[in-house]
Amino acid sequence: MTAATPPLQGTGIGLRQPHYREVFERRPALAFLEVHSENFFLEGGASMHALERARAAYPISLHGVGLSLGSADRLAEEHLAKLKRLVERVEPALVSEHLSWGAVGGVHFNDLLPLPHTSETLALLANRVDHVQATLKRRILVENLSAYVEFRDSDMTETAFLAELARRTGCGLLLDINNLYVNAANFGFDPVERLAELDGATVGQIHLAGHAVVDDCLVDTHGSVVCDPVWDLYAHACARFGAKPTLIEWDTDLPALDVLLSQAARASAIARREVAHA
Amino acid sequence: MPELLRLQSDFAAALRQRDQSGNMQRWLAGDAGLADRRLAIYRGNMVAAADKALSAAYPVIRQVVGDEFFHGLAREYQRGTPSASGDLNDFGAAFDAFLARFEHVQSMPWLPDLARLEWAAHRAYGAADAPDWDAATLGAVDPEQQSAIRFQWSPGLAVIESPYPIVRVWTIHQPGYAGEFSVDWDVPETALVARDGFVVRVTGCGPADAAFLAASLAGQPLGDAAESALRLHPDFDLGALLARAIPARLACGFTL
Repeated sequence: MTAATPPLQGTGIGLRQPHYREVFERRPALAFLEVHSENFFLEGGASMHALERARAAYPISLHGVGLSLGSADRLAEEHLAKLKRLVERVEPALVSEHLSWGAVGGVHFNDLLPLPHTSETLALLANRVDHVQATLKRRILVENLSAYVEFRDSDMTETAFLAELARRTGCGLLLDINNLYVNAANFGFDPVERLAELDGATVGQIHLAGHAVVDDCLVDTHGSVVCDPVWDLYAHACARFGAKPTLIEWDTDLPALDVLLSQAARASAIARREVAHA
Repeated sequence: MPELLRLQSDFAAALRQRDQSGNMQRWLAGDAGLADRRLAIYRGNMVAAADKALSAAYPVIRQVVGDEFFHGLAREYQRGTPSASGDLNDFGAAFDAFLARFEHVQSMPWLPDLARLEWAAHRAYGAADAPDWDAATLGAVDPEQQSAIRFQWSPGLAVIESPYPIVRVWTIHQPGYAGEFSVDWDVPETALVARDGFVVRVTGCGPADAAFLAASLAGQPLGDAAESALRLHPDFDLGALLARAIPARLACGFTL
């Protein structure tokens, strides 16, 4: 895969509509802005104009939530064609998707549903990632998922699965520290041990976000500040893998821009400290 | 059938119908009761996604019926018309037909037409930007050829006819509307939905102009479209319509 753009370093935030004006006026010092790819599967209009303005000022990360790489029956080629057009238009620094499925039999759940971590799934995902990378003519990152159920058939951990997927396809990994923490709590494992299954060279980006606690389950909401154990885990990941482009991800109950910027500043400080000590 | 496809089919059934979650249990690890409660999180996500997508496309209907009732509409609509795309912007195209047959909204017979208006506005929002066009090029057309002109209308332009005052209902529910709120339900209205720069505008349109625009949007040349409008509405005034439409950049080109 060709690297079309110089490697990204530093911290970014998700760009969401209520912050457009303030971001364009203040131009905060951020390494990149990330958007959901599907929000820009449009021909023109206000949203596309905003994305073009953002692109003129910052590197862009396109984060897909609807491609459904792991759907067993088919990959939505029409969806991939729209993503390809967007990638050509925006020339993003990063393109990422999830280790998930979201549709079967033509019915889309528009959610990130978990997959069993089996050799059957691995073969399917490797084919799909190869196809997507060939179509987009670039490397993509694949993100670990937050999940609420686990499968009996899984015979490897998600991190081991992703490490093997990266080895087979050359894709990079988007390591979502909050998702790893959520799953560790929901399924009872040690997230630090899971980090040890990853090769730092394959980690292309890190996501940090908040979650909610509902009854007996941690739910990935992207609607609050990053919690302390997730900051600690992030510090551990930085020490282990080196500094990686890091995103503060916030989608629901969006706060003032300054809240996102202060979370981003905290991430940058942790990365600097850990890399200096490494 | 491959194992993964079976698993996903069972998962889908468990999400769409709570009483179909039995087949799902055989795939899940851990405590069955716990796994069942956690499947409910995914079921909640599914309905929340439908509510969010429909709320974005149909903000006026949401205001008209209230948040709670709208949530119920979203769930019912999704049950019969699940999303067919990984892009939620596409979700809701058949909401008008659903509203026309859903028994609990029959007291609001204008709701389906309002839905068609809002869907047109939703599509216009993301339509291609209109190309720059020098309308003076029209003047260079040989008079003998004028009837063969086919206008290119601004992307997203739509004409929504209704026996109900849908433009009025849409207008009084816009953010920042400061006028009075009376509605005369006996007034039929046709809505013209069009992008003005990045803003989607909805304005009233007379029946003669609507007939012409509908014919022209369907690809008819100027002469035929004007003729069909005149047949239905002898008072149709093509000159007046073009004098409004061209400066408003509703037309953005033509072919011969």
